[in-house]
Amino acid sequence: MDDYLDRLNAVFQQVFLDDRLVVTRDTTAQDVEGWDSLMHVSLMVNVEKAFGVRFRSSEVAGLQTVGELIDLIRARQEATRRQ
Amino acid sequence: MMATRTRTGILHEILALRKEGRGAEALHRLQGALRQRRLDPLEIDQAGRFLQQEWARQDQKAAGVRVLLLGQCTTSWLVPALVAVAWGRQARVQIEEGGYDTVLQDLARRPAQDSPDVVILLPWNQRLLGRTDVPPRQRIDEELAFWQEAWHLVHSRHHSRLLQVGYDWVDGGAAGHFLAGQPGGPVWLVREMNAALRERLPAGSFFLDLVQVSGASGRTSFYDMRRYCWTRQPFSEAGIYHLAEHVWAGVQALTVGPKKVLVVDLDNTVWGGVVGETGPHGIVLGDSGDGAAYQAFQRYLKELRSRGVLLAAVSKNNPEDARAPFQLNRDMVLHLDDFAAFEAGWAPKSVMLERVARDLRLGLDSFVFFDDNPAEQEQVRQALPEVEVVAVPSEPAEYIGALVDGLWFEAAAVTGEDRDRADRYQSEQARRQEQWSFASLEDYLRSLQMRAEVRPLDEADLPRVVQLLARTNQFNLTTRRHSREEVQALAGQSGAVALTLRGEDRFGDLGLIAVLLAVPAGDGDEPTVRIDTWLMSCRAIGRTIEHFLFTAFLERCRALGLRKVVGEYIATPKNGLVKGLYKELGFALLSADGAGASRYELVLEEARPPVTFVTAKG
Repeated sequence: MDDYLDRLNAVFQQVFLDDRLVVTRDTTAQDVEGWDSLMHVSLMVNVEKAFGVRFRSSEVAGLQTVGELIDLIRARQEATRRQ
Repeated sequence: MMATRTRTGILHEILALRKEGRGAEALHRLQGALRQRRLDPLEIDQAGRFLQQEWARQDQKAAGVRVLLLGQCTTSWLVPALVAVAWGRQARVQIEEGGYDTVLQDLARRPAQDSPDVVILLPWNQRLLGRTDVPPRQRIDEELAFWQEAWHLVHSRHHSRLLQVGYDWVDGGAAGHFLAGQPGGPVWLVREMNAALRERLPAGSFFLDLVQVSGASGRTSFYDMRRYCWTRQPFSEAGIYHLAEHVWAGVQALTVGPKKVLVVDLDNTVWGGVVGETGPHGIVLGDSGDGAAYQAFQRYLKELRSRGVLLAAVSKNNPEDARAPFQLNRDMVLHLDDFAAFEAGWAPKSVMLERVARDLRLGLDSFVFFDDNPAEQEQVRQALPEVEVVAVPSEPAEYIGALVDGLWFEAAAVTGEDRDRADRYQSEQARRQEQWSFASLEDYLRSLQMRAEVRPLDEADLPRVVQLLARTNQFNLTTRRHSREEVQALAGQSGAVALTLRGEDRFGDLGLIAVLLAVPAGDGDEPTVRIDTWLMSCRAIGRTIEHFLFTAFLERCRALGLRKVVGEYIATPKNGLVKGLYKELGFALLSADGAGASRYELVLEEARPPVTFVTAKG
C-alpha cells in the first residue's frame, strides 16, 4: 500500500522538480504548487511510464486526489494482468 | 535508429546538488548527460524546466539565442525540450511562446523593435485536413496565404530568421492507405502543402520537413492523440524530443551554421581491421558483410564532403601504413585528396585534433569526432570539451545512422561555395606544405601569386554574403549577423559603399572571401562613412588580402568625395585577431567603452595604402 505512495512520491518530486515535496492520499492539485492542467498531463505520462500503465482520457480528467490516482494505477495494472 | 534510453536518476542527482547550493555543478552534470543523450524524453522535459528555473533564479535571461515560437497547436512542451536539447549542444536559448493558434495576432501585436533571432512557425493540420466542406485546393491556398502573411509580418518588421515547420498527417483517415495518397486525400494534401511552403518560403529560411522527422521515429510513437484531445498538443513525449532536436538543428543552421569538420579515425572506422597488421589489401572492405558497411560509410562521407563538410583523418598508425589503402586498395571509395587534413602518428588523438584545427584555421567547436574506440572518444571528450564526440555504435552498418541522428550538418541551403569548399581546403593543404620551404613570409606570399577582384555587392552575392555574416568569427570587426534584408537595406542606402572580394591563387579559386559594408554617417560638411561590417573568411587570413580590399575601399571613398572613414571594433571571444587592425591602418582612436567596443577615425587625405601581395585580377 505505502509502496505505491512512495513510488508515486518520487515521481511527483521529479515532475515538480522539488525533492522536498511530500504527497499523501489526500493531496489534491491545489496543494501542490504548479499543478495546473498542463502539468497534470506531464504528471500523467510520467506516472504511466513509472508504473507501466496507460490511462484513458476519461480517467485522467476525473482525478481529484492522489489516493484516487493510486486506485486508478492499481485498477489499470489489474486490468492489464487479466488480459 | 534511436538508442535505447533508460531513466538515469540524473534528475534526483541534480536536485540534490541544487539543494546543497551547488547549482553550477548541477548544470554542468546535466549538460554532460544531455550531450551523451543519456536522458529519456520525460527526463528531457524535466531537465528543460530545471534549466529554466535555474536561469530565472540567476536572472541571466538575456543570454543566448532568442527564439519566438508560434504554433497552430499547443507548444508548451516544446519549450523545455528545446531548452534542454540546446544546453546539451552547449548553447543557451531564450524562448518566448505565443498563444494557442494565434500566430498572426501575436506577430501583429509584437513591437517592431523587439526582434527575436529566429521565429519558429509550427503548423498543425486541423484546418488543412479537417475542413472537408472546402475543396482541397482551396484549403492549401488558404493555409499558404496564412503563412505568407506570417512571413510578411516577420520580415517587414523584424530582422529575424524564419524556421518554418511543415505539415504532417497522423493517419490516412477514412480514405485508407491507398486513397489517402490520391488527390484530395490527407497524405496528398500534406505533400502538396509542404511543396507549396518550400517553394514560397523566403530565401535564407529553414524548412523543417515534419513528414521526414515523424517518419524516422515512426508516426505511431511520434504522436499521442490522447494529448491532442487533452491539450491540443499532438506529439508524444518521444515526438516532442525528436522535434526539439530537429528544431534546434534548424536554429543552429540559421544562426551559427552547421559543424564544419568531420574528423574520422581509420582502422575499424572507414575500413575493418587494423591496416598496420594486415596490410592495405587485408583490411575488411568490399561487397559483402562488414566490408559493404564500411564501403557505404565511405560513400556517405564522400557525399558529405561534396556538400561542403571538410573531412579530416586522425589515425594511430605509421603514416605510410595509414596512407597505403588509399593508394593501393581498389575497394576504397575515399581518396587521400578527399581529406582536408590527414594526421597519422602516435600522439594522443586530442593533440592530433588540435593540429588539424590549427592547419585548417578553424575552431574546435566546429569539429565532430568519429572514432570506433570508446577510449579515444573519452580522451577527446575530456581533453577537448568543445568537440562533438559521436557515440559510435559497435555495428558498422549503423555508423551512417549515428551521424544522421546527430544532426550536426543540417544546413539551411547549400551554396556553390559550400560545394567547392572541400576542394579549396585541399589546395590550402598544398599551400601550407609549401609555406615552410620559403625563406621568408614575403617570399611565400609572393609565391602564392594571389589575385583578387573587388566589386560592389550585387544581388547574386547575397546568399554567400549572408552566410559569411552568419559564420565568420575571427576576422570580423563587428560580428553583426545581418539578415539578407538588412544587407540589402544597408547596401541600398545612397552613399553606401558595399564591397565584396573574390580571390584566387596559383592553387585554385578561393571564392568570395571578404565583405566590407560602409554606410553614410551624418557629419554635415565633412562627408563620412562608417564601416558597419568588415569580415573575411578564415581561409584568407594572414595573406594581406584585407589590405588589398582596404585599398580598393579607399579609392572608392575618394571617388565619392568623402572626407573621413569611421571604423568600429566590437570585441568578442573570437575576434582578438583584428583588435589592432584599424590602428595598423592609420586610424586614430575616437572612443572606447568598457564593454569592448571602440571607434576609430581616418582622414582620407592622410590615408596610405597598406602593403599587399595581392594583385588586381583581369
